[in-house]
Amino acid sequence: MAATPATNPSQLLPLELVDKCIGSRIHIVMKTDKEIVGTLLGFDDFVSILSETHTWVLITPEGRRITKLDQILLNGNNITMLIPGGEGPEV
Amino acid sequence: MKNGFSSDKEKKKKESIFDLSKYIDKTIRVKFQGGREASGVLKGFDPLLNLVLDGTIEYMRDPDDQLKLTEDTRQLGLVVCRGTSVVLICPQDGMEAIPNPFIQQHDG
Repeated sequence: MAATPATNPSQLLPLELVDKCIGSRIHIVMKTDKEIVGTLLGFDDFVSILSETHTWVLITPEGRRITKLDQILLNGNNITMLIPGGEGPEV
Repeated sequence: MKNGFSSDKEKKKKESIFDLSKYIDKTIRVKFQGGREASGVLKGFDPLLNLVLDGTIEYMRDPDDQLKLTEDTRQLGLVVCRGTSVVLICPQDGMEAIPNPFIQQHDG
């Protein structure tokens, strides 16, 4: 990317923080009421997430549905927050 | 005529119209597409508006009425917010809830 004079170099860049999280647990919150907790394997420019997932929690008004999955490729389109080392929603 | 514009286009690149560096280390409130809201201390950002928030609190919505905030909050800690999902950023102490000013009085 071209030089961005507005940003202070000593601050923490968001994608750097995600990069540091590779190999450890991450909790991903979607725009909707879905959340994923798993081990981050990698991500791309669009922050599509490759992860080895342990649990996928779908939170609905009726309650939660927990699905366990293996490796997933998650489309970054609907990701709202990424929480390194997160434990996920209270079970 | 076309050539007159090209030099301007080369300069534009990724200039932000809003400088977030003045909010660094301050508590800000962020609203997302899909209705989520969170607040935290801004630790970092990039031109795509991805944010790093510390000590993040998410404000939970009422399950019956997704547009209404409840008193419920949950702590999220250090969080990266996707810029593609952010719709509003403001200082935490820069806003307050007021009664709806748009409700019409039905006088008949």
